[in-house]
Amino acid sequence: MLLTLAFRNLWRNRRRTLLTLSAMVVSAALLILALGVFSGMFKDMLASATEQYYGHLVIAHPEYHLRRDLYAHLPIDIVDLPAIDRELAITGKSPRLRSFGLLSRPETSQPVELLGIIPELEQQVTSLQRQLTAGHYPTAEEHNGALIGQGLAHKMKVQPGDELVFITQAADGSIGNDLLIVSGIFATGDSRHDNNLVLAPLPWLQQVLVLPGRIHEVAMVIDDPMIAAQVADRMAPHLSGNIEVLDWGDLLPEMREVIAAYDVSRMIIVTILYMATGLGILNTFFMSVMERTREFGILMAQGMRPWSIRGLVLLETLLLSIIALAIGLFCGAIMTLYMQQVGIDLSAYITPVTYAGGTILPRLHAVFESGNFLVPAGMLLLVSLFAGFLPANRAARLDPVAAVRED
Amino acid sequence: MSLIELKSVSKIYRLGSQEVQALTDLSLTFDAGEFAVLAGPSGSGKTTALNLIGCLDRPSTGQVIVSGIDLGTASPRQLADFRLQHIGFIFQSYNLIPVLTAAENAEFTLMLQKVPKRLRREKVCKLFADLGIDGLEDRRPSDLSGGQQQRVAIARAMAANPQVILADEPTANLDSHTAEDLLDLMRQLNQEKGTTFIFSSHDDRVISQARRVIRLEDGYLAEDIRITM
Repeated sequence: MLLTLAFRNLWRNRRRTLLTLSAMVVSAALLILALGVFSGMFKDMLASATEQYYGHLVIAHPEYHLRRDLYAHLPIDIVDLPAIDRELAITGKSPRLRSFGLLSRPETSQPVELLGIIPELEQQVTSLQRQLTAGHYPTAEEHNGALIGQGLAHKMKVQPGDELVFITQAADGSIGNDLLIVSGIFATGDSRHDNNLVLAPLPWLQQVLVLPGRIHEVAMVIDDPMIAAQVADRMAPHLSGNIEVLDWGDLLPEMREVIAAYDVSRMIIVTILYMATGLGILNTFFMSVMERTREFGILMAQGMRPWSIRGLVLLETLLLSIIALAIGLFCGAIMTLYMQQVGIDLSAYITPVTYAGGTILPRLHAVFESGNFLVPAGMLLLVSLFAGFLPANRAARLDPVAAVRED
Repeated sequence: MSLIELKSVSKIYRLGSQEVQALTDLSLTFDAGEFAVLAGPSGSGKTTALNLIGCLDRPSTGQVIVSGIDLGTASPRQLADFRLQHIGFIFQSYNLIPVLTAAENAEFTLMLQKVPKRLRREKVCKLFADLGIDGLEDRRPSDLSGGQQQRVAIARAMAANPQVILADEPTANLDSHTAEDLLDLMRQLNQEKGTTFIFSSHDDRVISQARRVIRLEDGYLAEDIRITM
C-alpha cells in the first residue's frame, strides 16, 4: 500500500509532477545523446589513428618504437608467433617494414614515410582501401604498385599510373632507390598521413633496403580497442626478450590521456547538468511535503514511524526518477540510434582537425557505449534521492501535534 | 490499575518569546471501557489533554501513563509504535488521505501492523458493514459526504482494535442528524467491544451522551462528573 500511496501522491499535482518529470527525462535523454556523440568523436579519433595507420597493437624490436632504427628489425616469421596465434581477440595482423626517404619525379621531391606491406594482410589492419579517391589498392601481383596520400599526390601532381622514384638509405649503407607506380590515392582527413604516407609492397621495400625476409613490426587489430592493454599484458610474457608488444596507448600516449580525461569530464558534465535537475526535484518535493504537512501528522498519529515517513517521500522521489529514467533511457537510445545511423555531416562548415594523434572528423555521429547510459542513469537516481532526502527529512521531523493542526 | 493516568500534568507552549500555559497540574485516571468527554470552551486545554493521552505530545511536567507504561522518555519511534498498537484517533476534519480509497484509509493502520492484505480487507469490510457504509469501500474521500467520511475515520480508528479511541471534536463539522447517528454508533461500539472512547467537545449532544464529563477551564480541572445510566 505504501507503494500505491507513493505513486498516487506523485499524481496529486499532475502539472507539477509532469514538469519535473519532463526536466528529468530531457536532461537524461540529452545527456545520453551528448555522451554518445562525445564517444563517437573519440572513437573516430582513435579509429583514425589506429585503423588508418597504427593498428591496436604492435610487436616490434624494443629499440624500434623509440628511435625508428632501421636496424632494429626482426624476421618475418614472427607474424606466426604462438603468442599471436593463441590470442583469440586478434582479428588481423600485418607485417610491415618502414623507411623514410625522398619520393621524386622530375619536377619535385617530397620527404615521405614508406611502409612496406603485404596488401591482403594490411587490409585486415588498416582501412585505407575504403578511403580511396582514385585508382585502386595495390594488389599482390603489382611488384611496385604504391598507394599514396592525396595531399602528397597533389603536391607531386601525380595520378594513378604515374611513375615515382623512392630514394633512401639501405641497411648495407648504400643508397637504395627504385621505381614505384602509383596504383591508388587515399584521403583520410589526417594531414600527417595524407601528406606523407606511402604504402608499397613489402618484398619491393625489402629489396630496396637490402633487408630480405626482415620486417620492423607486426601491426594487429582486435575486436575492442579498449581492451588492447589487457591483450598486450597477456601476450607480453610469451614473447622473447628482443620483441616487445605495445598497445595503442603506448603508441599514442596523448590519445590515451584524452580518453582517460573524457571519463572524468563525463562525470563532471553529468554532475553539472544534474545539479539543475536536482534543484527542480528538490523544489517539487519540498512543495509536496509542505502541502501535505497535515497528512503527515495524521499518518504519525496513526502510528507511522518517522523513518517510514521519510521512506514514503524517498519512495515517491525514487518512483519519479525510475519513470523519468525509463523514458529518458528510451528517448536517449532512440536519439543515439538516429545519430549512429544518420548523424550530421558538418563537412560544409568545418574541416577535419588533428588532435592528440587522431583526427576529429567533420561529422556528428553517436555510438552506443554502456557507460553513456549507466553513468547518467546511476547519477539521476543518486541526485533524485539526494534531492528527495531534504524534504523527506523535513517530513520525518514534523511535530505531529503541529502538523495535525496545519491548514 | 487504570488504563490511563495523568499525574499532575502541566503543559506549556512557547509562542515566540511568550509562554502559554495550556494545562496546569491536571490529574485524571480513565478505566477501560469508559465513554468520557473532555468538555470546556475553546482554549480550555481539551485538545492538549487529548494529545497528551494519545502520546502525540509530551507533558512539560508530570506523567502520562497509558496501559502501565510511562511514555515521558520514549523516543518518537517508540511513541509511534505505541500509538499504532494502543490508540485510535478520530479528528474533527475527518483527515482521510485523499489519494486512498475509503477501504485503503481504514486499512492503513493494519498495513502498518503488517496484517496480510486479505485479512485487512476482510476486517475492514466487516467494519464498513457495521458502520453502515458498506459499498463505499472503493470510493475516494472526495466522493463521500461528511458523515460518510467520519464513519470511514471511525473505521480507521477501530480497525486495529485499539484500547483507546480519542476523538477531537468529532461532530463539529456534521449536521445534527448525522452527529446523533455517529454518537449512537460510537456508543454502541463502546458497549459491544468495550473500547474506551475519550472525546474532546463543547457540543451538548456529545456531552449529553457521555457517561463521564470532565470540564476543563483555562487548563485547570473544573469538574469531573460520572453519570450513571
